[in-house]
Parts: sequence; C-alpha cells; structure tokens
Amino acid sequence: MTESPGGVPTSRPYYSGPPSQPGRTQPATLADILERVLDKGIIIAGDIRVNLLDIELLTIKLRLLVVSVDKAEEMGIDWWRHDPMLTVRERGLDEENRQLRERLAELEGGGSEDGSSDGQPAKESGRAGGRSR
Amino acid sequence: MTAPQPPVGVSADTGRYLYAVCRGLDAAAVDSVQGIDGATLELVDHRDLVALVSTVPLSSYGEEALRRNLEDLSWLETVVRAHDTVIHAAARHAPTAPLRLATVCFDDAAVRDRLREWYVALTDVLDRVDGCSEWSVKVLVPTEAPEPSETAAPTSGADYLRRKKSDAARRAGTAEAATATAHLVHDSLASHARDSRQLPPQDPRLSGHEGTMVLNAAYLVPDDAAEAFAGLVAGLGAEHPDVVVDGRGPWPPYSFAMLEQR
Repeated sequence: MTESPGGVPTSRPYYSGPPSQPGRTQPATLADILERVLDKGIIIAGDIRVNLLDIELLTIKLRLLVVSVDKAEEMGIDWWRHDPMLTVRERGLDEENRQLRERLAELEGGGSEDGSSDGQPAKESGRAGGRSR
Repeated sequence: MTAPQPPVGVSADTGRYLYAVCRGLDAAAVDSVQGIDGATLELVDHRDLVALVSTVPLSSYGEEALRRNLEDLSWLETVVRAHDTVIHAAARHAPTAPLRLATVCFDDAAVRDRLREWYVALTDVLDRVDGCSEWSVKVLVPTEAPEPSETAAPTSGADYLRRKKSDAARRAGTAEAATATAHLVHDSLASHARDSRQLPPQDPRLSGHEGTMVLNAAYLVPDDAAEAFAGLVAGLGAEHPDVVVDGRGPWPPYSFAMLEQR
C-alpha cells in the first residue's frame, strides 16, 4: 500500500533478542519501564512531597545522562518535546551539514586540519555520526 | 543499606508506599508478589477501591532521602522495576490504575483519605481501562549501510560534494517515507484501539535499539481483542518491510491512567 523507498536492507536485528512477537511476554527494556513509571501513571500527592518538577527534571537529566554530549546536541536539548518525525528529519540534515562542512574544511586545508569550524572537535571517525557506519 | 523490615503499622520511621489503585482486587492475587525491598504487599480499601501498598523506611523514602536517591540510577532502576512488577501482577487480576513512582503516605488513614478525595476521578480512570491493556508499538528504521559509491575514494572535492548531495537527497526521501509509514502504522493501530498516545522516541542507550525510532506509541486495547491487535501489528510489519514494527505487551494501562483534574 505504501511506496517503500527500496534498497534498504531489512533483515538486520534491532534488539539483541529474537525478533519480537506480539502476544508473547518479553522482557521490558529499562527505557520502556522508565518512560511509564516516571512519566505516566496517576499523580496523587502523598505525605512525602516529591516535587513533580523534580521528577520532570529527573527524567530530563536521565535522558541527558545516558546520551553522549554530541548526541544530545545533535538531538537538541529538548528533543523529546518535538514531533519525533520532525526531529528525525532535522537530525539527519544537521548531521549531513556538519559532515559536509568538516569534509570541506579538510579539503580546503589540505587535510591537515581535522576540526570543524564551529569549535566542535570532530570525533575520530567512529562516534561522530552514529548514523554513518 | 536496606533497613530491616519494620512491623506493619504506623511508625514514625516508616511510610506507606502506594503502587496502584484497583477495583475488586483479591489480596490472594498478589500473595506471591513482593513489594519494594521484598516488603509484603497489603491492601487499603475505601468502598470498592483498594490501594496496593507496602511499608517503606522513611530513611530511604523521606523527602530528603528521595531527592537524593532518585538521582541514583541503580537505586532508581531497582525501585522502578519493583514498582512495575507489582502493578503488572495487579493488572492481571483487576482493573488497575498505576500511580506514579514514589507516592508515599504516613499511614493507612492518610491512604484512605486520598482514596476518598479522589474517588470519583479514580473510578472514571478504572472505568476507562477496565478490561483493557496497554500495548507498546515502535517503528524503527534501519541504520543505513554505506552506499557502494562511498567505498571508492572521490576523485575530487567537487565529486565528493556531488555524491554527498545525492546521498542527502536519497536519505531525505528515506526519512520522508519512514515518516509516512509511521503515520500509516499508527493510524491503522489507533483505529483498532480504544485509545492511543504517542510517546517521545527513546534513547538507544536505554532501550538498546538500533536504527532510528520514528514511532513510539501506546495503545489501549480490550483484552478480548489483544490477539487481533497482535495480528495487526505482525501484518503491518510484513506490509512494510522497510521498517521494523516492534510490538510489546500487555502492559498495565500506564499511559492511559490520568486523573481528569489535577
């Protein structure tokens, strides 16, 4: 029914476990549990005051904690508030731009300079992209 | 680190940790389940509602201690998992409204006060989720393999930029197609669910997924339609081989348990 872009390999695993089968019980990832237990559920103030702002900050911190700095920058600090679709697209283009700028600088500088113009040191191949491997 | 289990009852050193509010939950149903720190689960009732509680030491769950402990990811993970285990067990047996992490009252009277105060709103929530479970469905786009064109070294800077441009255009097309697929999958699933919510995409470091998550959604599905829903998820996966459609459940209705007024 949809036009698939074609040419994208499909059979690689996404989770380390076997391919998921709805209806079978699967171990929930910590991400699945955290996003529900911390972000969802009924809020009733108990006698012990847990500032809701604290919890919100906590989830933000948690997300940042587990995200490397360049990844967080790549996503934008408040990426989870954005339309996921939009974020994905923007992220791709930003990354693309960055790579182009780096490559350009490299070519213009005769390959001697490996840095990018915006003061962000280019990571040695591996981690910089996340997308390109 | 864990304080010895204090006797059940009122004590200045302990509080009552609330997991969920249920309707018609039989205590025997959660008999074999342990609460946080291995504590015994108990029910505090008000009319037809019960709060599922256990005793916690305020040395760990008092205001100061909580503020400190919530910052500790391994402490948090332990508590979050225990919280979730209890709620899963309850939701298998009765309509269950999960409470957010770390709702602590001083004693059972205070717990009953909450049930009394929020009775109508809690009843509404339980009516809404009665007979339903939450299903989590994610759509993931594979990480791209390098194009063959990228394996040969570019012959010039201009050649390199030309290649990059065409790759970028191709990738933008892929992202657009993935977005369209995510919308299709969501619309199709939502039309078979009683309710649905879109959640923020997850971080791969926490979830362990590879590729780009373009849909992370929760669906409230009647239990008698769960099999059909699972079939639909599998069917959508087969229909869209360019993405992975990952369905998991059943979950307690976390994403659909919200009080009307706050």
